[in-house]
Amino acid sequence: MEEKVLNVVSQVLGIPVDTITDDSSPESIEAWDSLKHMNLVLALEEEFGIRFSDERIVAMLSVRSIKDAVAELVPQAT
Amino acid sequence: MAGLSYSQIQGELNSAQLSALPPFNIAIVRNVVVEPIEPYLRYLAYRAGFNARCDFNEYDNVFQEAVGGQKGILNDRTDCVLVFLKLENVSWALARGFASLGEDQIDSEKDRVRNLISSVVAGIRKQTAGLLLWNSFELPLQPALGIVDYQQGMGQMACVGELNAFLRDTLRAQRSAYLLDMNVCRARIGASHFYDQRYWHMGKAPYSREALEEISNETFKYIRPLLGKNRKCLVLDCDNVLWGGTVGEDGLPGIKLGRTYPGSAYYELQQEILNLYHRGVVLALCSKNNEQDVWEVFDAHPDMLLRKEHIATAQINWRDKVSNLKQIAADLSLGLDSFVFVDDSPFEAEQVRQYLPQVQVVHLPEAQAVEYRDMLAAGGWFDTLTLSAEDRQRGAMYRAEASRQELQMQSHDLASYYASLSMVLEIGLADDFSIPRIAQLTQKTNQFNLTTRRYSDAQIQALSEDRSVDVIHVQLKDRFGASGLAGVCILKYEEDRAHIDSFLLSCRVLGRGVEDAFLVQCMKRARLRGCTIAIGEYLPTAKNDQVRDFYPQRAFHPVAQDHSVHRFELDLTTFEGSEPAFFSRIDSQITSIQ
Repeated sequence: MEEKVLNVVSQVLGIPVDTITDDSSPESIEAWDSLKHMNLVLALEEEFGIRFSDERIVAMLSVRSIKDAVAELVPQAT
Repeated sequence: MAGLSYSQIQGELNSAQLSALPPFNIAIVRNVVVEPIEPYLRYLAYRAGFNARCDFNEYDNVFQEAVGGQKGILNDRTDCVLVFLKLENVSWALARGFASLGEDQIDSEKDRVRNLISSVVAGIRKQTAGLLLWNSFELPLQPALGIVDYQQGMGQMACVGELNAFLRDTLRAQRSAYLLDMNVCRARIGASHFYDQRYWHMGKAPYSREALEEISNETFKYIRPLLGKNRKCLVLDCDNVLWGGTVGEDGLPGIKLGRTYPGSAYYELQQEILNLYHRGVVLALCSKNNEQDVWEVFDAHPDMLLRKEHIATAQINWRDKVSNLKQIAADLSLGLDSFVFVDDSPFEAEQVRQYLPQVQVVHLPEAQAVEYRDMLAAGGWFDTLTLSAEDRQRGAMYRAEASRQELQMQSHDLASYYASLSMVLEIGLADDFSIPRIAQLTQKTNQFNLTTRRYSDAQIQALSEDRSVDVIHVQLKDRFGASGLAGVCILKYEEDRAHIDSFLLSCRVLGRGVEDAFLVQCMKRARLRGCTIAIGEYLPTAKNDQVRDFYPQRAFHPVAQDHSVHRFELDLTTFEGSEPAFFSRIDSQITSIQ
């Protein structure tokens, strides 16, 4: 699951997977603006077949919090 | 999209060699946030061979952007404008407060919206002649007056419908401007999947990812024909496609085809194919069978909708389908990249995908015959921007061509063959009637095309109104029928020089001296306009090698060359061209002063 999340982040933000850490956020990655955040949310929802609440979307502002948000909704997070 | 997810599409775009591809500039004029659509648009452009760039106007300054003044995102390099004008941000009252409005208020709001539409359309057209695609207003899902709304003359539903009708009329009065039906997009994916209320509230972005994907697909049905990328030929396998079962094993009475189950699935697919025929799509068969078995079904089965006369050519044999497709392409003088190939066999489908990647392969999965009709109808590969009488006659034109080829086999030499055709050429300047067909020919023609410049309706109109340009077309008729618009020549005049911006011929009329007669007439025109030199260019592409020596073989002298442009000059003062003698008549409107 974590690898899939990193792949999606890499593809949507257009950055290499190995530059992404749990602390990566809109502050540390220039490409990660609010519009890209939207693309990221939509891509993650499609990839995992899940749907975040609007409150969760505004809180998912680091790779770590994204992983947590996905893990909450995916039945068997591996 | 194409079996890829939203993030996979972005991954593909990241690693694609986009800078090697020609650019395609899309300007998006909007009053809502639709930025997530960008990867879908860029991916579809990439699949069509283009590097698309998307520019969005500053959020919700649609009027200012359209009417211009300041240099915004619309300019003469804009290839396509997409307009997203959501009613909520144009008139909150009409969109969400309808029930509280009196009749006078409704009328004055409608007037205000209509005025805005007129200004924006006119303003956009002043700044760019690019393809204009305007997404229609969405009809209310929960009409303001409830069930009464639908029954009443002036309910909300009727009001929005009227605004869409006004939009359509306003766009129709412009060239290359179309209304994209948001309501049918919404119906296709389901209204409950169309909106993202979270992002509507958080970021004024109303449409879901699925909605933006569907809208992108619909948008490219308009863009592909502009780029000459729409497909023209449908090649069909027979067994388990046109009928259930295999005719070789089951025999005529054993195959499944009819008005009732299970043959009804195949009957409905055939009806869909017949519709495409009447829209100008060329049909061909590619089947592993004995020929007479297949034709027997066409001739004798009572429920066959497709008949032999609908089929332009067929390869029914035991050879591999890759070779057969190449033969069909050669017989029709069409590129394989204009083909859609339909087969039920995963083996055949994969083989063609591998060896002929330019062919659009549609694999019809086993045991899903009831879905085949929808799969074909949803493809959208054959859409064109105009549907002319000529398009509708295309099937008949292919039959006429077969008659010509039979006649040629009977003639003793080419000159007597040509003379026996009784060919008549009609040459004239572009007018309202011919402008769309001229634009379409510049978009479609790849082989006999010296410079491969693509033009929209609006661009051809602008050129035809320019006093320093002549847009000339030629039509061919012979004893078997009319070939429709045969060729286009665009001459741009600069002092005493005539630049041949475009010179192209439909492959249907090649090999009959039309190109020689047409060139001579156009050069006479240039001389009439006071030019002493004509300058021809050859821009090599993968497809137009056959015209590499066109100008040198006709008394043009080569001048400066570089890799991408070969230039030639013709001295018009000493030019003594004459049209080939075997034409019965040449009606030319361009060699007398207009």
